[in-house]
Amino acid sequence: MALRIGIREGMRTITRHGSLFFLSLLVAAISLFLLALFSLVTVNLYEAIRILDEKIEIIAFLDRRADVDALKGNIQKIKGVEQVHYISSEQALTDLRNELQDTEGILDVFEENPLPASFRIELEGSFRNARGLKDISSKIMLLEGIEETLYGGELVDQLKKITNGIVMFDFGLLAIIIFSVIFVIFQTIKLTIFARSTEIEIMKLVGASNGFIAIPFTFEGIVQGLLGGFIAFLLTVITYRVATFFFDNIYFPQWWFLLGTILGGMFFGIIGSSIAIRRFLK
Amino acid sequence: MITFNKVSKVYQRDWVALQDITFHIDKGEFVFICGATGAGKTTLLKMAYKDEEPTHGTIKVLDQNVRELKKKEIPKFRRKIGVVFQDFKLLQDRTLEENVAFSLEVTGTPHREVRRKLMETLTYLRLSHKKYAFPYQLSGGEQQKVAIARALIRDPYILLADEPTGNLDARSSEEITNILEDINYKGTTVVMATHSISLVKKMKKRMLRIEDCRLVQDK
Repeated sequence: MALRIGIREGMRTITRHGSLFFLSLLVAAISLFLLALFSLVTVNLYEAIRILDEKIEIIAFLDRRADVDALKGNIQKIKGVEQVHYISSEQALTDLRNELQDTEGILDVFEENPLPASFRIELEGSFRNARGLKDISSKIMLLEGIEETLYGGELVDQLKKITNGIVMFDFGLLAIIIFSVIFVIFQTIKLTIFARSTEIEIMKLVGASNGFIAIPFTFEGIVQGLLGGFIAFLLTVITYRVATFFFDNIYFPQWWFLLGTILGGMFFGIIGSSIAIRRFLK
Repeated sequence: MITFNKVSKVYQRDWVALQDITFHIDKGEFVFICGATGAGKTTLLKMAYKDEEPTHGTIKVLDQNVRELKKKEIPKFRRKIGVVFQDFKLLQDRTLEENVAFSLEVTGTPHREVRRKLMETLTYLRLSHKKYAFPYQLSGGEQQKVAIARALIRDPYILLADEPTGNLDARSSEEITNILEDINYKGTTVVMATHSISLVKKMKKRMLRIEDCRLVQDK
């Protein structure tokens, strides 16, 4: 009963104070959109770092007499090695031809395949750094049949330092944005509640319980959050579509973003309205 | 019904609003609280329905020590008391009917009961013909009648009226006072705050006069 009337009251204020509701909805939608946009950047940053991290590997070139199977087995036994892929000299030549595309003709100057066979060695996560690369590489070099190894070395550590810095900066910025969004939504809800302080005063006067008084405002908060979240999601999709004209391979997990913006909106709406209403119910 | 025992109210910075107020109002009485503007009449009424807390002393309303009321118990307590203000405090975006029904709806009264009480109250106050009007379409006197209807629809034991005629012309004032008298005649205890001595003299009811924060006369 109380819930039904409370929701009806909430609906009534939404329809009768349309402009006020629209204004706070707009604020919520824009705030959530900014948050979603920044999250999209963050997600892509992480994705790029992940891909970059996976590319940290060792290439070991074999001499022509090497026993491939035995060597592969021995390398796989080294601690920190995750996977070993064998690339035959023919395969290497095909790959090179593909890479060179139109200019592959330059390879015709060679009478026979000049490329050696190699192993592409993927490492476990904790070994993907300068020290890990160096340690594993020197162990591989000791094996018979290995002619040379190639790895990023110090460059990898520098890259990691840069990505760590970016991640920290990104986190800081995200925290500031979340805080600002909560603050803006909360202030907006407070304004709309303040505009209706007479209503709250009368409700208190005629003996409505605090729980009852909070229902319409919480309901409004939820509706605002839901709609605001959905609008924010649509704006993010549009931005994503536009961005795909300029950048390739943007990572955009749509369903997570839809869920995130809507749940985030509802969360901010409920929390914001309950904090704001509490001040009036003291 | 209402007992104030050595009640004082001191606001911040030692600003005294009321000092050492003691009186008792019986069931079914009609009492005027009289005093100049700022004498403390509103504070006194506010303490009776627990919108303000006394700094010292005890207040008993409807056999309950108001100070001891828990936060949860306040809504139930207030449902037994009707309050009317000088500025009416009506919701401008609601019709007359909605304003009055609001008072019952927010306490979870069933719809059918709300309709029945609404009809009864509006008929009694002769407001039925304007039930779809918004407050800004009504005269001051009519608006005050709506405020009274909102209080009355819950059948309160006590009706507290804070300068209900303060914003009204002589004719409307008389009408409102007559309505309050009639409500009292039907058994509701009425406490009305006013600064108009002439009105009090005309009504020949009990008067509590407040001057300089103190109760100076009870007759």
